[in-house]
Amino acid sequence: MEVLLGITGKDYCIIAASKAAMRGATILKASDDKTRSLNKNTLMAYSGEAGDTVNFAEYIQANIQLYSMRNASDLSPYEVSSFVRSELAKALRSRNPYNVNLLLGGFDSIKEKPELYWIDYLASSAKVPYAAHGYAQYYCLSLLDKHHHPDIDFEQGMKILRMCTDELKRRLPIDFKGVVVKVIDKDGVRELEYIDDKQILAP
Amino acid sequence: MARRYDSRTTIFSPEGRLYQVEYALEAISHAGTALGILATDGIVLAAERKVTSKLLEQDTSAEKLYILNDNMICAVAGWTADANILVNYARTQAQRYLLTYNTDIPCEQLVRRLCDLKQGYTQHGGLRPFGVSFIYAGWDNQRQFQLYQSNPSGNYGGWKATSVGANNASAQSLLKQDYNEECNLKQACELAVKVLSKTMDSTKLSAEKIEFATVGRTAKGTIYHHLWGADEIEALLKEHGLGKQPEAEDSRA
Amino acid sequence: MDALVSRYSRPAFQNEGYSKEDQQQALQDVAPPLSLNFALPPVASAASWLRAMTDDHSNPNVPIKIAHGTTTLAFRFKGGIIVATDSRATAGNWIASQTVKKVIEINPMLLGTMAGGAADCQYWLAYLGMQCRLHELRQKRRISVAAASKILANLVYSYKGMGLSMGTMCAGVTPTEGPALYYIDSDGTRLAGNLFCVGSGQTFAYGVLDAEYKYELEDEEALELGRRSILAATHRDAYSGGYINLYHVKESGWVKHGFTDTNPVFWETKLKKGEFSNVTANLD
Repeated sequence: MEVLLGITGKDYCIIAASKAAMRGATILKASDDKTRSLNKNTLMAYSGEAGDTVNFAEYIQANIQLYSMRNASDLSPYEVSSFVRSELAKALRSRNPYNVNLLLGGFDSIKEKPELYWIDYLASSAKVPYAAHGYAQYYCLSLLDKHHHPDIDFEQGMKILRMCTDELKRRLPIDFKGVVVKVIDKDGVRELEYIDDKQILAP
Repeated sequence: MARRYDSRTTIFSPEGRLYQVEYALEAISHAGTALGILATDGIVLAAERKVTSKLLEQDTSAEKLYILNDNMICAVAGWTADANILVNYARTQAQRYLLTYNTDIPCEQLVRRLCDLKQGYTQHGGLRPFGVSFIYAGWDNQRQFQLYQSNPSGNYGGWKATSVGANNASAQSLLKQDYNEECNLKQACELAVKVLSKTMDSTKLSAEKIEFATVGRTAKGTIYHHLWGADEIEALLKEHGLGKQPEAEDSRA
Repeated sequence: MDALVSRYSRPAFQNEGYSKEDQQQALQDVAPPLSLNFALPPVASAASWLRAMTDDHSNPNVPIKIAHGTTTLAFRFKGGIIVATDSRATAGNWIASQTVKKVIEINPMLLGTMAGGAADCQYWLAYLGMQCRLHELRQKRRISVAAASKILANLVYSYKGMGLSMGTMCAGVTPTEGPALYYIDSDGTRLAGNLFCVGSGQTFAYGVLDAEYKYELEDEEALELGRRSILAATHRDAYSGGYINLYHVKESGWVKHGFTDTNPVFWETKLKKGEFSNVTANLD
C-alpha cells in the first residue's frame, strides 16, 4: 500500500510519496522519505520490494552524481530516465532483478519544461503529465484525468494533489501515514510542508 | 641518447621526453594537411589527400574524413590504419552512450573517451602510441557547434580554427591571420580552400586531391553533417577560382 | 400396475393454490429453501468443481469464463438517488457485449444494479422482482428497500461458497424510508449507505465521485457527476466500456436518463473541456 504520485504543471513537477515504511502487518516508521534527488533538477521516488528500493535508488543516485562530477554538467531528466530504464532493464535480465517501481520528476533547463517519467519494475518507461504507482493508480488516475490540465499553476497543482491524498485517505484500508511532498522547478528540488491532519471519511 | 628510451616502451628520457610520442607526432607532420574552421552556423573540415590516382574509386576510399555519429565527424592526419581502429572505437562508444542515455554523446565526452584510450598507449609498456591526430567537428545541446583537436599523446583542446599534418604551421598562421569569429559556414568554406591551396604542394587543387565536409543546421533546425561529393568540391573550387583550368585538364588528358 | 401408477402420478389438483404448509412457508421465509431444483453436476463437491471450471487462479486455462468486469455506481443526494452503469460484458479477454443493461428495473420504484456474474445477477434480480411483487400482492403495500435488499442478501448467503458471484446495489425511494440505497454482495454483505461503486472499475469511479460528491447536489449536477464517473472508469478499466446507463430515482419512481455511447462523450469531454490530457490527439 505504498503511494507514489506525480503531477506536472506549467513550470514545476510535484512528487508525493507515502511516509509509512511497512513490513508485513507492521508500520516500522511513519516518516520515511521514499525519494532521492539525483542531480540539481531531477528527483526519483521509489516503491517496491524492501531492500531493492533504496539499494537501487542509491546506486542510480551515485552514478548520476558521478556523471555530473566527471562531465561538469547535469544529465537532463530525459537522459536520466533513459539511464535508469537501461539499468533496470539490465538488472531484469540478470540473476537478481530489482523489484522497484519509480517516478522520475525533473525540470529540463534547456527546454525550460517540467518532465515526469513513469517507470515500472519491468523497465517500461513513459513520459506522462501525471502518474501514480500502486493502489494510488486506481483511485487517483481517474481523478487526474478529470482535473489535470497541462498548464496549471502551482496552486492548482497542489489543489489536485490534495484531492488525490484525500481520496486515498478516504478509500485505502491501510493508513499510509501521509505523504512527503517535493517540488522540482527551475531552482531545483525542495521539500514542501504538507499539512495533512484532517480526518477524512467515506460518505 | 634517444636509443635507450624509445626502443621498446614509452618511458621518459632523462630530459623528460617521450620519444615514441614525439616520433608519432613527427609521422603526422608528414601526413596530408587537415584543417577545421568553426563558423557561427556550422563547421567545415577539409583535408588534403595524399594518395591520388585516376584508378582510385572516389566514393569508396575516403581517406581523411569519417562520420562518428549523427552529429559528429572527424578529420584524421597520420596513419590511416591506426585511425581506423580509433574511429571504430569512437563509433562504438558513441553508440554505447546513445544506448544508455538515449541522447547523442556530448562532443567533448566522445573526444575525451578517445583521448583516454590514446593516452593509455603512451604509458603501457610494449605498445606504440597511435600515430594519428584528429580534428573533430560536432554539435551538442550544451555547447552547440564545437571544434576539437587531439594528438597521439592523448591531449585535446577546443579550437576556433586549427590544422594538423604537413605544413600545419603555415596553415595555422594563415588561419590566425584570416579567421573571423563572425564568419558563416560559406565564408569558412572559402577560407578552408584558400588555406589549403596555399599549403598544399601541388599548384592546382582538384576534387581528387582534397576531401571536404561540413556540419550545419538545416532550415528546419535539425543538425546535419555532410561529406562532400567530387562535383560539390569542384563547384566550390571553381567559385573561388582555384580549380583546374579546363585547358590544363585537356592538355593532361 | 395400479400400485406403480399411484406411485408415479400425483392428483391433478396437487399444484393448484397454496397448501397450508406452503402458505406458512411463504409467509415465514420469502427465500426458497436450499432444495431448489437446480441440476447439480454429478461430482462430490459442486463448489470446488465450479471453482476448477471458472477460477483463473486454480486453473489457468479455465473452460468457462464468467463475465466479471463492470463499473456500477449509485449515490444518494438531496434530489433522490443516481444510479449509473457501463454496459460492457467480458469473459476473460473477450468483450462479449457492449450493450448490456446492467440496471435492472425491479419495479417502477426499485432499481437493482448488476456486477459480477451477469447470469447470476440477471437471474436473482428477476427472482427478487418476483418476490417484491408477491410481497406487494400479499401485504397490499409496496416492499421497503430494506426488505427487498434483505431478501436478496439472505438468498445469496444461503448459496455462500457455492460459486455465486454478484455485487449489486438496490436503490429506491419509499414513503417510510425516503431515498434508500443498499449494497449486497455474494459473500452475504449487506450495507446501507450514501455512495457505492461496484465492479472492476469501482476505484476509478470512486476517484471522480468522491472528489465532488456532496448530499446537497442539484439534480443536473448529480446526473453529470454520475455520468462523468462512469466515463472515468470506462477510460481506465479495460473491463468496463460501451454505453453509460443513467437513472435518477425519485419519490415518484425512477426516471431513465439515456443509454449513451461513451466514445463521443469521451472526445467531447477531452476536446471541449481539455480533460484527459494524457491522451494525445496528434502523433509526435
